[in-house]
Amino acid sequence: MPHDLYEVSPMSAVVDFPVKPEARLYLEAFGRDFGQHTREPDWLSRQRRRSLARFAELGFPSRRSEAWRYLDLRALEAAPMLPVGAVRAIGGVPAPDLLAAVGLSETAYRLVLVDGHYAPELSTFGGLPSGVWLGATAVAIGERPDLMRSAIEAPPLDAARPFAALNAAFFADGFVLEIAPGIALDQPIEIVHLASGGSGGSLHTRSLVSVGAGSRASIFETFAGHGSYWRNDVVELRLAAGAELTRVGLVEEAADALHFGETLAALGSASRLASFVLLLGGRTVRYEATVRSEGEATHCALHGGFVLSGRQEANIVTTVDHAAPGGETREVFKGVAAGRAHGAFQGRITVRPGAQKVDANQLSRNLVLGPRAAIDTKPELEIYADDVKCSHGAAVGDLDEAALFYLATRGIGREEARRMLIEAFVREAVELVGSPQFREHLLKRLARRLAMLEE
Amino acid sequence: MLEITNLHVRLTDGREILRGIDLSVNSDEVHAIMGPNGSGKSTLAAVLAGRDGYEITEGAVTYLGRDLLAMPAEERACEGLFLAFQYPVEIPGVNNMYFLRAALNAQRRYRGEPELDAGQFLRAVRAKLKFLDIGEDLLQRAVNVGFSGGEKKRNEIFQMAMLEPRLAILDETDSGLDIDALRAVARGVNQQRAPDRAILLITHYQRLLGYVEPDRVHVLQGGRIIESGDKDLALELERRGYGALGDAA
Repeated sequence: MPHDLYEVSPMSAVVDFPVKPEARLYLEAFGRDFGQHTREPDWLSRQRRRSLARFAELGFPSRRSEAWRYLDLRALEAAPMLPVGAVRAIGGVPAPDLLAAVGLSETAYRLVLVDGHYAPELSTFGGLPSGVWLGATAVAIGERPDLMRSAIEAPPLDAARPFAALNAAFFADGFVLEIAPGIALDQPIEIVHLASGGSGGSLHTRSLVSVGAGSRASIFETFAGHGSYWRNDVVELRLAAGAELTRVGLVEEAADALHFGETLAALGSASRLASFVLLLGGRTVRYEATVRSEGEATHCALHGGFVLSGRQEANIVTTVDHAAPGGETREVFKGVAAGRAHGAFQGRITVRPGAQKVDANQLSRNLVLGPRAAIDTKPELEIYADDVKCSHGAAVGDLDEAALFYLATRGIGREEARRMLIEAFVREAVELVGSPQFREHLLKRLARRLAMLEE
Repeated sequence: MLEITNLHVRLTDGREILRGIDLSVNSDEVHAIMGPNGSGKSTLAAVLAGRDGYEITEGAVTYLGRDLLAMPAEERACEGLFLAFQYPVEIPGVNNMYFLRAALNAQRRYRGEPELDAGQFLRAVRAKLKFLDIGEDLLQRAVNVGFSGGEKKRNEIFQMAMLEPRLAILDETDSGLDIDALRAVARGVNQQRAPDRAILLITHYQRLLGYVEPDRVHVLQGGRIIESGDKDLALELERRGYGALGDAA
C-alpha cells in the first residue's frame, strides 16, 4: 500500500513527504476544511488524503509537461486560489438571474450547482423515469456508495493530472446521473454550474454519468459565473455496451475566471459518445477529454471549438485511445482568436496493437484575427495496428478575403461581413450537434459572444 | 449614370492592365464589352466594384454624379452598383437566404428604409423566384457551396433581381453555361431591363447577345476600347474574330 505512506495529519500541514512550494497553502487549507469533517465514509477520507499527497508531490504542471505547455499558470502560482470546498455555498443571490440568462429556454430536468454545491431551490428534475438516478454527488456518496467508490478510486493520479488530484482531494459536490440498462431518456438533462462571484477561491466539482447497456441520454452542461474564481471540474462518463450519450458543454465563465474541465470517458462495445464543447468565456480555459474505447465497434464524436478575444487563453486537449478493434472516431475542432488571445488544440489518437479496423479522423481548423492573436495546433496519431484508417488535418489562417469582397459587393459592411464569416466558421462545428434544441442554444450564445468580439 | 474617363489601372506588381478607358453609360442602356482573354475586361469589372489590389494611376469614374473610386465596395453596392461574378465565391456555413436578407437589409438601412423581417423577405423572394428558374432548395444551402456552374450564375442573377441595382455589371455571366442555363440567365437579365437600370455585359462571346440585345457594343483590347458600335458590331466580331479587328486597330 504505497499510498498509505503518504498520510496527511488532518489537523496540520505537517507532512512526511516532499511538498512543492505552490502546494503548501492547499495542504493547510485541507487541514482546516477536512480536519473536522467526520460524516464522510472512511474510504472517501482516505482517497482525499491520498490525492492531496499526490498533488503535493506533483505541484502545478510546468510548461515542460506536454499536456500543459500552452497554458500560462504563473498567475495562479503567484496568487493561489484556495478551495472553498467544505464551506457551504455562498449567498447565491445573483444566481437566478444568471440562470435565466444562460440556461436553456425549455428544460424538463435541470440540476443547478452554485459555487460547486447542489442548489435544490434552482433545480427541477422530478418525474424522471424509474431506473434513472439523478442527484448531487454529495448525496450519491451516501445513497450510491458502491458506484461512487468505484468511480472516485478508479482514475489513476498520474503525473500529467495534478489538478485532477487536487480535485479528488477537495471536491465538495457535483452531479451523478445513473441510468439502468435499456432506458431511453428522451428529454435532455440540463446541468448548470454557476459561480456567484462571492467565492474568490477554487471550486472543485466531481461528477459521474453512467449509462447502462442499450440506454440513451443527452446532457447539456453550462458553466457560468460572476467575478473571479477558479473552477476545477472533473466528470467521468461511463457507457456500457450499446449505450448512447450526447454531452454538450458550454463554457461561459466570467471574464476573470479560470476554468479547468476534465472529462474522462470509457466506452463499452458498440456504444456511442457524441461530445461537443464550446469555450466562449473565461480568462483561462482548459478543456481536456480523455476517451478510452474499451469495447469493440465504439463510435466517438468529439467536436467543439473556442472563440477568444482580449487576453483570453484557451486550450483543448483530447486523447482518444482505441484499445479494441472496429472503433470509429470523428473530431472537428474550430478555433477563433482575436485581440491578444491565445488558443491551442492538442489532439491525440492512439490505436493500440490489435485494435484493427479503427477508423479515425481528426480536423483542427483555426482562424487567427489580427497580428497579435495566436493559435497553436498539434495533432498526433499514434498507431500500433496495421489495418486502420486514420487521418488528420490542421489549418491556421485568416478570413477569406474573396468572401469578404463578395459580401461587400452586396452592400454588407466589413464588420458585419467578418462577423458573418466567423460565425459561419464556428457554425460548421456546431452543426455537428444532433439535437436542434442544443444547436439553437449554442448558436444563440455564439452570436452573443461574437457581437462582443473586440479585436 | 456612369462616366469613365481615361482610366489607367495597374496591378501592384506594376503591370498596366487598363490603358485609358473612356466609356459613358446612360441610365436605361445595356452595353456589351467584348474582348479576347487578357484584354482587361474582368479588371474593369473588379475596379468598378471596388476590389483591392489595383492601382489607379490616371483617370476618373463618376457614378450618379459621385466619385465612384472614392467609395468602399459596400457603399458602391448600397448606391445601387451590382457585380455578378465570373466566379461566384463559395461561403461555407452562410445560408443563402440569410446572406441575401443581410445584404438587402444593409442596403435598406443605408437608404434609410425599414429592414424586412423574415416573413416580408420570404414574400419578396417568392415573387422574384417565379420569374427565374431557381429551386427553393438552392436558397437553403450555403452560399454557392456545391452549386453547379449554372446554379452559381443563376444565383447571381437572382441576387441581382432581389437587390434591384441601378447599374448591374455582369462579368462573363454567360461563360460555362449550357444552352438552357444561358436562356434562363438571359431571361432574367431581360426581365430586369428597366428605364432606371443600366446593364454592363462583359463577355467573350457573342452568344449571350443573341438573347440580350445591347444598345452599344465595345471592343476592349490591350486595355483600351478600340472600337464601339451598335449590336451589329458583335455579329461582325463573331464572324471575323478578335484577331482581325486587332490588326485593323
